[in-house]
Amino acid sequence: MENRNFHQTWFLTRFSLKRDWLKLALWSVTMVVLFAAIAAKFTAIYDSQSAIDEIVKTLKSPSMISLFGKLSGTAPYTVADVFAGEMTVFMAMMAAIMNFSIIIKNTRGEEDSGLLEIIQSHSVGKLSNLASALIELFIINLLIGLFYSLGLQFANLNGTDINGNFLLGLGLGASGFMFAAIAAFLAQLVDNSRSATILSYIVFGIMYIARMSTDVSNPKATWLIPFGWVEKFSTYQENNWLPVFLMIGLSIILCIAALWINNYRDIGSGIIATKPGRAKASTFLRGPISLFWRLHRTTIIVWVIGLLILGFTYGSIFNTIGDILKTNPAMEKIFGAAAVNKANILIIKNFVAILMIVLGVLALFPGIQIINYLKTGESKGYLELIHSKPISRNYLFTSVLILGILTSIAALFAGIWGLQLGGASVMKHPVEMSVFLRGFYGYISPVILVLAISACIVGWIPRLSVFGYLYSGLALFIGYFGKLIDLPKWCNKLTPFGYIPKVPVDKVDMGTMWWQLALAVTLIIIGYIGYHIRDLKSAN
Amino acid sequence: MMQQNNNVILHIDHLQKRFGKFQALKNITFDVHSGEVFGFIGPNGAGKSTTIRTLLGILRASGGTATLFGKDVYKDSVSIHKRLAYVPGDVYLWPNLTGGEIIDLFLKLGNTKHNRKTDLMIKRFQLDPTKKARTYSKGNRQKVALIAAFSTDADFYIFDEPTSGLDPLNEEIFQQSVMELKKEGKAILLSSHILSEVEKMCDRIGIIRNGEIVETGSLSDMRHLTRTVIEYQTMQPTPELQTLQGVHNVTTSTNGLTTFSVDSDQISYVMDYLASKQIVSLQSTPPTLEDLFMRYYSSNEGR
Repeated sequence: MENRNFHQTWFLTRFSLKRDWLKLALWSVTMVVLFAAIAAKFTAIYDSQSAIDEIVKTLKSPSMISLFGKLSGTAPYTVADVFAGEMTVFMAMMAAIMNFSIIIKNTRGEEDSGLLEIIQSHSVGKLSNLASALIELFIINLLIGLFYSLGLQFANLNGTDINGNFLLGLGLGASGFMFAAIAAFLAQLVDNSRSATILSYIVFGIMYIARMSTDVSNPKATWLIPFGWVEKFSTYQENNWLPVFLMIGLSIILCIAALWINNYRDIGSGIIATKPGRAKASTFLRGPISLFWRLHRTTIIVWVIGLLILGFTYGSIFNTIGDILKTNPAMEKIFGAAAVNKANILIIKNFVAILMIVLGVLALFPGIQIINYLKTGESKGYLELIHSKPISRNYLFTSVLILGILTSIAALFAGIWGLQLGGASVMKHPVEMSVFLRGFYGYISPVILVLAISACIVGWIPRLSVFGYLYSGLALFIGYFGKLIDLPKWCNKLTPFGYIPKVPVDKVDMGTMWWQLALAVTLIIIGYIGYHIRDLKSAN
Repeated sequence: MMQQNNNVILHIDHLQKRFGKFQALKNITFDVHSGEVFGFIGPNGAGKSTTIRTLLGILRASGGTATLFGKDVYKDSVSIHKRLAYVPGDVYLWPNLTGGEIIDLFLKLGNTKHNRKTDLMIKRFQLDPTKKARTYSKGNRQKVALIAAFSTDADFYIFDEPTSGLDPLNEEIFQQSVMELKKEGKAILLSSHILSEVEKMCDRIGIIRNGEIVETGSLSDMRHLTRTVIEYQTMQPTPELQTLQGVHNVTTSTNGLTTFSVDSDQISYVMDYLASKQIVSLQSTPPTLEDLFMRYYSSNEGR
């Protein structure tokens, strides 16, 4: 019986590896090269013990812990410790994005598109597709983990050891597979791939925020959060393999649960079923803008509220971050309470300046998704009937543009408002909203510029529409890591964010804002022209 | 002639469309008048949908002209679409909206509203409008598009293989609803490869092959271009039949019946010959659309 359920699993695994090879290769190469290249560069950046001590001091500050996870172990620190401390959480996040997208596409996505039905009509076990998708990702994560380990061996950082190299590499691989198992399980609960993706990221967001706040307040509690396990490797210090086994254990449990649900449910259904809806459209649903709003409503709400919560969580550690007296108790006596308060606020402002790039890029994602709907909706055939209505292409283009820009700006504002609210909830003298708003105003122009680039691409070459996401990802990487891995200065200038002064520490630069907005308007106009004259694709 | 020009709704003249190196439409020329159902037939990949999508302004023609209501289909697409309804062959609907919501949305986008006819059509096609589109079958998704189209008060209707997912009962309802539109004097372009449907409903037909219209006209016009199958029995033998001009495929079965096909322009001549041999029984079968279709397609390069 069991055997029949898994009939042809190996065949399907080989088939999906063949089908997905390009995607898998691109992901693996990007991640491994990123990891190994940074490792190789570290020796040059932190060439002296004083440089290491300097960065360790930074990494031990609460703001850095919230961003990168807790640095484990005790002095003396080596380059290897710094590397593990900076990279672990980030690489696990990348692994989550990769695994979510592939496993959901290969399970729920295949089911949505009806491909699974064709496959299952052949002599194939009921659980074979899910099992093969899990095996595929197990193989890929194992390979990526091994390459990480080998990359570390070759980079040969000062302070590494073989045990630690394999722990970090395979541990990150295991975290990747754990995310695949989480998404595979969640994909069984809902009945379509969109909901599965949203649910997976909600769970991920909750884990990220829980990990961040426990790291800052009570590191022991981080053990309770699966995402936090990657921080407990204590690589190159105690080299603790327990978290790896925990991750594998959780993965196995979730895989079994997913397979069990998959066995008992019908194809195309989930535990949480789609309910019937209204027989007539509400008066609100009447044109392109309200249609696009309706289609992206859940996405928009999740992102805006998500950023509000993320901002709030960061804000609620302001009191820990902005407490300079902890590190420098003598300061109050020398400079007086007012000066200390001022210094504290400056630290917070500096922290907010780093957070701005995170909030800015995250705010971009829903906006890009909405603008790219002109492409996704077109290639899925949803827009064909709209195109036969008396609705001009310019009107459609304007609709996604307005909704996309408003969404990104609302999400950015939500994140910043969250910071203020979070700060106000813990601080005796909260930082005023006007300070945070400086960050908000400063980031409006680069956010709109990136959206304008996306709009221009959708107008002319829709098949490259993924560029918007990659470009934003690059901006995040440069802003988040640029200083730590000592990227050359020109890298900063690759994205519009690099031209923005360090808000809210510095003032908003009106000149930059105007040229960025002018460039954005130009790109949007070019996009309009492209969308006006190009052929629209059909679904078949 | 003058009169016919007055009610031309769709006018296509040497329309061409090229995708990179591939010439999808080479030469499309035909008209559709008000009050007629024009059948647009051809096999998969011949260019039916490409033609329709060009008429909708979704694709931009590489050559030739196409006008609807006297306006350019690309430049004036918005004003044309106010008087047009369209049902694609593959209907894709937003999975998280209900059928009812989508119908109403389409109506509102066409500047109309949910009306009496909408309710009538929902009832006729027996669609449950409260279900989310992701739960609909292909036929049900087609019904959503059909209901929206039929309850739109347009002057030109385009149906691209609209019944491919419908059951015979709903197919009948579709045909009935199209006939009602025709009676109201609307122009209808029906692309299909269900030939019995076209034969039953269409006043005129255009046959497309490899991006070219190879034949247009009414079915009876076209019949003149092809052969009639005749089965007969005569008192006297008919050895000369084989040699007569326009006669093909003569076969005699054991029961004495002879069957042959004859070019339409030679029928009267052949009939005279048979009559001279004292006809006992005679049955003629007019060519069906299927015969016509096969004739155009089975010969690869035949003109």
